[in-house]
Amino acid sequence: MNPMNDRILFENVSKFYGEVLGVNRVSLSIAPGVSTIVGPNGSGKTTLMNLMTGLVQPSSGRVSVLGLTPADADRFFRQVGYCTQFDSFPRRLTGMDFLMDALLLHGMSESEAFRLAREAMERVRLSDDAAGRRIEGYSKGMRQKIRLAQAIAHHPHVLVLDEPLNGLDPMARAESLALFQELSRQGMHLIISSHILDEVDRISDRVILITGGYIVAEGDIHQVRREVRDKPLQVLIRCDQPERLASRMFTDNHCVEARLHPDGRGVFLRTGDIDEFYRLLNAIAVEGLVQIEAVAPADDDTRAIYQYLIGSDGSPS
Amino acid sequence: MSVYKHEYRAYTGPLTPLWARVGVIVRYAFAEAWSTRITATLFTLSVAPVIVYLVGIYLANNQLARTLIMRGSPMLTIDAGYFLKVLETQSWLALVLAAWIAPRLVSFDLADNALPILLSHPISRFGYVLGKLLALFACLSLVTWIPCLLLFAFQGYSSAQPWVMANLRIAGGVLASSLLWIAFLSILGLALSSWVKWRVVATGIIFAVVFVPAGIGGIITGILRTKWGFLLNAPVMMTQLWQRILGAPPTMQGDLYLPSTAIVTVLLLVCAACVLMLNARIRAREVVRG
Repeated sequence: MNPMNDRILFENVSKFYGEVLGVNRVSLSIAPGVSTIVGPNGSGKTTLMNLMTGLVQPSSGRVSVLGLTPADADRFFRQVGYCTQFDSFPRRLTGMDFLMDALLLHGMSESEAFRLAREAMERVRLSDDAAGRRIEGYSKGMRQKIRLAQAIAHHPHVLVLDEPLNGLDPMARAESLALFQELSRQGMHLIISSHILDEVDRISDRVILITGGYIVAEGDIHQVRREVRDKPLQVLIRCDQPERLASRMFTDNHCVEARLHPDGRGVFLRTGDIDEFYRLLNAIAVEGLVQIEAVAPADDDTRAIYQYLIGSDGSPS
Repeated sequence: MSVYKHEYRAYTGPLTPLWARVGVIVRYAFAEAWSTRITATLFTLSVAPVIVYLVGIYLANNQLARTLIMRGSPMLTIDAGYFLKVLETQSWLALVLAAWIAPRLVSFDLADNALPILLSHPISRFGYVLGKLLALFACLSLVTWIPCLLLFAFQGYSSAQPWVMANLRIAGGVLASSLLWIAFLSILGLALSSWVKWRVVATGIIFAVVFVPAGIGGIITGILRTKWGFLLNAPVMMTQLWQRILGAPPTMQGDLYLPSTAIVTVLLLVCAACVLMLNARIRAREVVRG
């Protein structure tokens, strides 16, 4: 089997809507696991998702999902489940009808569709009572869940989720994240776009940052952060004498900023050369100048990367 | 204690053929069309003239009833002209039904932004439109060629002479004319509905597209004294075409008749425009970025 057949591949893909740029010259190779697409509004996240779900065709370049292209619709759509960002449904359908129709469109028989619909309802924790009610009467969280159920009901290999956490209460968000993690552990591709960076951060294996239709960074979040060399890294060091540690770091010229932790038992240090910084920290620990309890990077999460690379106004920095 | 590793397993069961999936769209569209009482009311009203024509056939074939009810009125003849009247009545009622149903099939999906969900399944845009078209076609069939052919069968049954074999052209003509008209209405209705998110407005536009050009065509014909203005007049154009297909006697002066090729060309051009409209609008996305 071709090793690239377990990947979602974008080969120099551009998409223009008339004169409007969707995405430009995107090349990606997405491995199984949870990948998060992050970017400001209008950055091209949904276009990227529509391209990988075959809903729009690229203006140039090629997209393939597990070695399949949308031209092979039958096999392609069997592998892909899509949960759109739109809070919209065909009218007058109950939750069960919605799932049944979706599964029948996938080519399942009535009995098989019923079984899979019930299974999907259970997975997203929607009750039998909800299954028989019209979707118009659902709360926003329930609508989000039924969309998710529709996306996973036919057992796809690739799950594309556009803003799947919007409208969910904290409990439902935690349940959804747990479900995403479980699906990812089972070997599924999960492509998630979300603005709730802190929560997505916890389950993401890699991040794709996009702005203005261009990919600005892609890969493991810690690796991406290390590559952003022009922004000094921030490290939290828990120790018994944080002021003394900060003073020593400044003396050796390995620190550009220091901030005491609010509880007084740690210090946030910012450095432009992380390798040299850690070498010096080791030396200090060996000297016994301070008792170091813990060392952890403080700004290599998605939020920090987003701010560094995209900026709060969404323009590239 | 055992540790079980749950591996992801894709669905490997049997799949239905592609046409069955188009059937899902048809069924869903059919349910949408008949989910309102107004559809049922319009359908009932559309069937009422058929009963009147049925009584006409009965009277034409039953001398005793004719004597009792019509009291010496001129003999009612069941021929191509009679079936042309049936066809005309039913066809214009079909327009009313199409103007009501077509927007329900497409405008709702567009207004609800339901297309991305539907089209992220193994069903193409063509399959989606075909499903809706078939549902509308089936609804319109119920008030056009099906009752017309039932009347034809009743006339064949009631007639003392071997009427059916001698008038097979009428049956074929009624079928062909109805199919032509409802196919045209279906594609026109869906195309116009796909451009308007408000159902009521879409209904109005369907009527307007048929009757406003007819008025303009009438003005052109009147002022310029040319028959070509009728090419914008769907009622006149279709009546002329149906007369020829059924072999019914002409009802207008000979120099006002349009060539059949001109009529068919206009119908094909309108259909081509409708296909372009559908192609532009039936998409999984609008220009929504972010």
